[in-house]
Amino acid sequence: MWRSRLGAVRTGRTRIRTIVASVAAITLAATLGACGSASGSSEPTITLYNAQHKELGREWVDGFTKETGIKVEVRDGKDFELANQILAEGDASPADVFLTENSPAMSLLSSKGVLAPLDAATIAQVPARYRSGAEDWVGIAARSTVLVYNPSLLPADQLPNSIMELSQPQWKDRIGIAAGGADFQAIVSAVYAVNGDAAAGEWLAGLKQNARVYQGNIPIMNAVNAGEIPAGVIYHYYWYRDRAESGQDSKNTELKYFGDKDAGAFVSVSGGGVLRSAKHPAEAQRFIAYLTSKSGQQVLAESYALEYPVGSDVPANKALKPLSELDPPAIDPNTLNGSKVISEMQRVGLL
Amino acid sequence: MSTGVAAAIRPRVGSRRAYPPVRLAAAVVVAALTLIPLGYVLVFVIAEGPAQAAELLLRPRVGELLRNTSALVAAGCAASAVVGTGAAWLVERTSLPGRPVWTALMAAPLAVPAFVNSYGWVSVTAAVEGFAGAVLITTLSYYPLVYLPVTAVLRGMDPAFEELSRTLGNGPWRTFFRVVLPQLRPALLGGVLLVGLHLLAEFGALQALRFPTFTTAIYDQFESTFNGAAATMLAGVLVLGCLLLLVGELRLAGRARVSRVGGGAARTAVPHRLGALTPFALLAMAALAGLALGVPLVILGRWLVVGSSTAFPIGQITEITLTSIGFGLAGAALTCVLAVPGAWLSVRHRGWVSRVLERSTYIAGSLPGIVVALAFVTLAVGYLPVVYQTSILLVAAYAVLFMPRAMVSLRAALAQVPPELDDSARALGARPSGVLWRVTLPLVLRGLGTGAALVFLAVVTELTATLLLAPTGTATLATEFWSNSSSLAYGAAAPYALMMIVISAPAAWLLTRESRREMGRA
Amino acid sequence: MTQTSERTQQQAVATDGLRVTGVRKSYGPVPVLRDVDLAVPAGALTAVVGRSGCGKTTLLRLIAGFDRPDAGTVTIDGRPVAGPAGVLSPEARRIGYVTQEGNLFPHLTVAANIAFGLPRRARRARGRVLELLELIGLDAGHAKRYPHELSGGQQQRVALARALAPEPGILLLDEPFSSLDVELRESTRRAVADALAAAGTTTVLVTHDQTEALSLATRVAVMRDGRIVQEASPAELYRHPVDRGVAAFVGDVVVLPATVCGGVAQCALGGLPVAAPAAEGPATVLLRPEQIALDGGDDGVPAHVVDVEYYGHDAVVRLTLGAACQVTARCPGYALPAVGAQVRLAVRGEVGVETGLG
Repeated sequence: MWRSRLGAVRTGRTRIRTIVASVAAITLAATLGACGSASGSSEPTITLYNAQHKELGREWVDGFTKETGIKVEVRDGKDFELANQILAEGDASPADVFLTENSPAMSLLSSKGVLAPLDAATIAQVPARYRSGAEDWVGIAARSTVLVYNPSLLPADQLPNSIMELSQPQWKDRIGIAAGGADFQAIVSAVYAVNGDAAAGEWLAGLKQNARVYQGNIPIMNAVNAGEIPAGVIYHYYWYRDRAESGQDSKNTELKYFGDKDAGAFVSVSGGGVLRSAKHPAEAQRFIAYLTSKSGQQVLAESYALEYPVGSDVPANKALKPLSELDPPAIDPNTLNGSKVISEMQRVGLL
Repeated sequence: MSTGVAAAIRPRVGSRRAYPPVRLAAAVVVAALTLIPLGYVLVFVIAEGPAQAAELLLRPRVGELLRNTSALVAAGCAASAVVGTGAAWLVERTSLPGRPVWTALMAAPLAVPAFVNSYGWVSVTAAVEGFAGAVLITTLSYYPLVYLPVTAVLRGMDPAFEELSRTLGNGPWRTFFRVVLPQLRPALLGGVLLVGLHLLAEFGALQALRFPTFTTAIYDQFESTFNGAAATMLAGVLVLGCLLLLVGELRLAGRARVSRVGGGAARTAVPHRLGALTPFALLAMAALAGLALGVPLVILGRWLVVGSSTAFPIGQITEITLTSIGFGLAGAALTCVLAVPGAWLSVRHRGWVSRVLERSTYIAGSLPGIVVALAFVTLAVGYLPVVYQTSILLVAAYAVLFMPRAMVSLRAALAQVPPELDDSARALGARPSGVLWRVTLPLVLRGLGTGAALVFLAVVTELTATLLLAPTGTATLATEFWSNSSSLAYGAAAPYALMMIVISAPAAWLLTRESRREMGRA
Repeated sequence: MTQTSERTQQQAVATDGLRVTGVRKSYGPVPVLRDVDLAVPAGALTAVVGRSGCGKTTLLRLIAGFDRPDAGTVTIDGRPVAGPAGVLSPEARRIGYVTQEGNLFPHLTVAANIAFGLPRRARRARGRVLELLELIGLDAGHAKRYPHELSGGQQQRVALARALAPEPGILLLDEPFSSLDVELRESTRRAVADALAAAGTTTVLVTHDQTEALSLATRVAVMRDGRIVQEASPAELYRHPVDRGVAAFVGDVVVLPATVCGGVAQCALGGLPVAAPAAEGPATVLLRPEQIALDGGDDGVPAHVVDVEYYGHDAVVRLTLGAACQVTARCPGYALPAVGAQVRLAVRGEVGVETGLG
């Protein structure tokens, strides 16, 4: 008994040492592996807070690194998450560059004065309607609001003429939205900008009654395709992407463009900007310059993303309905108020 | 005379000895670390002021979340209790054929994270969305938390109790409800408490199943406002829910003692003959295993084979798998090390100080990952920018989140080591630290291993805290699966889910084996 | 009064307590019970004794219905509970069962434990519980305690009360005192014996402790290798064991080679009267140490005191008779010889004889 116990103690000690040693080794290896990818080059590494689609962000980063040799470390997140994170971090923020999917998060940073003015050459690459009036961020891509619908559940003659109709009682449980995402929040901000606070507030309350909330644009499209719900509000490119791949999740659906300067024809601008607190301001400026340059916009146009290029006159993918035919409402992207939209959505209970 | 002897002996095993200062200090520091999230939420809610708090809390949305969350917790706990106990009873107490197979299968869902399971189901049918689906899938994922402790108690329970009840005129069913169930109560309640806490904290699965609760709402708020007031206020409500569960469990556990009265070895039970019911029991067990394990694995396999977005970026998968293993091991190691002082004090120096130190770590561990992460993000941004966005902060959050898992295992193991061994080692000239290192630790290695396996399992499948706290550019299997699957790229997500299951399997197996050993000893 | 007891006796004959006939049981290839027959008259207490592994606990579990016999029948109060026609489940047999550890339900108070087997409505009435507490000699204050707040002996007594509460047709006691220490064992045994006498329940007591069996039981059955080798009253069993094994099991025994001739066994202690008729010729004499007295007078067999083990009330004295022969005697503690003394032995009473292999 005693002998065996002492034996156990002795082997136990060797085992402890082995375990401690191997845990330490693996942890060290993992840490070194993580660091190794970040160092080893004379060029500085810039940090990108990326709220754009992860894959598109990667394509841009790879193109940029190839062209300039500058490495980019990416932190992915959502528009307002990263915007508010940058505000919370203040001057200590590790971010050099910030990319969004929609403009309200950019305008928030712009209004707080944490964005650095962009190089004039960069500004010149983007038309005025797709950039901040304060010239501290520019559009890098654009996407159009659409209504995706299932014609077998919603015949074309019953389609709404305006996004504002979706708050009416006949749409109860017949409309899908992704209330938690920045995409839909941007559309809401357009409704506020076009129709005024009172009408927009009423619309939001009606939508709270009518809408089924999904986790994102793709789940909405899938649900419409599967006949779970007749229609949903999304951006155009999710539908075109699926059509370009297999059409598996969109084959039973069609798109309705509202046009006619309706808030539902809102074209949302994805923005890019450089932080005042950037540790590598020159390289950060180069990154935005690259994104809006011909080669950067070409990456976008040729990628699977199917968003609209906005800079350097690069044409959009031919499959898309041309940007010039969308007839969106005229909205200064830098005036869209993200914070108000979020508190309004909290008020009606969509958030 | 005899009382004199007893009085002379008592202080040696009891609480009268002074606390060793170094260990006490270490335990206090650990307890303070684990109380950071609770303190953060409390301070924030108080600082926000009643008016602002009322505005954020007295909204229709909060009522909706409250209804959803309580309904899910109630139904999920009840369903897990029934399924876990039923399965344990069938395996341990009846003539169910294929017992070793079922023993292995029943605990195996531990290796399949709930969010992987729910994505599997959602990718096949939208019918699982909403309340019923949420209850079904969380039950399939979490019933092992009831099954394992109940099995352990059933195996250790002297069958004489059941036999006696039979002689006193009770049939098998009444015996189960009047004798077996009351004795299972502490284990059952403990398991149900764990299920409840998991349900309060569950994010990925419920997000996929479109069933909003406080945790998913907090995450949505975080995505909209980073560390905004609304998120923290919701976190405050969630914390309150956790504390309610903890107190409720304590109250329900009551004062009745359940360990066997008297000594001696228990016999193994004569199994209840299922007879004509055997096919039904087999069918039920097969259905449970099929739903909890078969469905996610088959769907995962299908994604891998036919998913349009399936890609095997071998290098990336390997790197991310290594990162996950690294975090798992580092988290397990740190958590176990931090648990040692508190566990040791609570076993060797019973008293209110050690009890408070030990218990405080449980409260922290019962908070959802998202609340802990919110607290750590805010504190690091504001007060400790050095560790902000570093692995150190993330691993520390893991340690806070999963401390109870290490603590429970370690305490159980320490309680088995007679204190006389310490004295013998001291008499042989070892210093206190030497005693810990040379005698105590080797003897509790097994318990430490169990705790480490539990923590590893939790870290590898942890999602929300990792999403919020991971260093820039670092992905884990869980976050990579999440980001792919939430854009419905199931094929691309599948390899990460598979790797998660692969690296979790050894830990889950270890736990099954250990719990069998525990039972053997009981 | 007299009439009542007469009627009880008549009923006893008619209903017949417990009857086990030709019961066989194997676990795998290992036979545990081989053709066991046992009858316990109504109201009697039969002790089944034997070394561990002899099959006595298995027999008890078959009677209780926890296991089923491979062959044979079990009848309780005239009602077959196991046999070719089928097996009755334990809850339908009306039995009381007390285990080695008592196994009081730890989640219930003493009162709830005692009331456990009563019908739902009767559980709430305190009358029966108090009655049983009194029967086992515990005061009513114990009713609200939990099992872990009782001593081991009290736990066993409550276990007995719990078993007796539903007025079972037969009571099965499985080594109920073996987990108690000596002092408690004595007092608990006495309390249980009194309670059983008062309740008048037919009882089977399984034990490996022969003193317990002899002092408590009206009949004692000795089991060996799955068989009952002897069933008799305690005195009969002690005085006339069927063989050396049984003799040694129920007490100390002195074994001497002898020759039987005309009802007298000739051995080293002289000619001794044989209790039962035995075959003539070479045999083995069995007698108890207390039958050997050291005050044999002049006719006594001379012996030499080798060793004395003193117990207080008595002592065991080892003696040599000549060179090759040693015997032990048990003498009262007040008159002991000195080691080395020369004494003369006499044998009181009849002796047992084992012929054949002896």
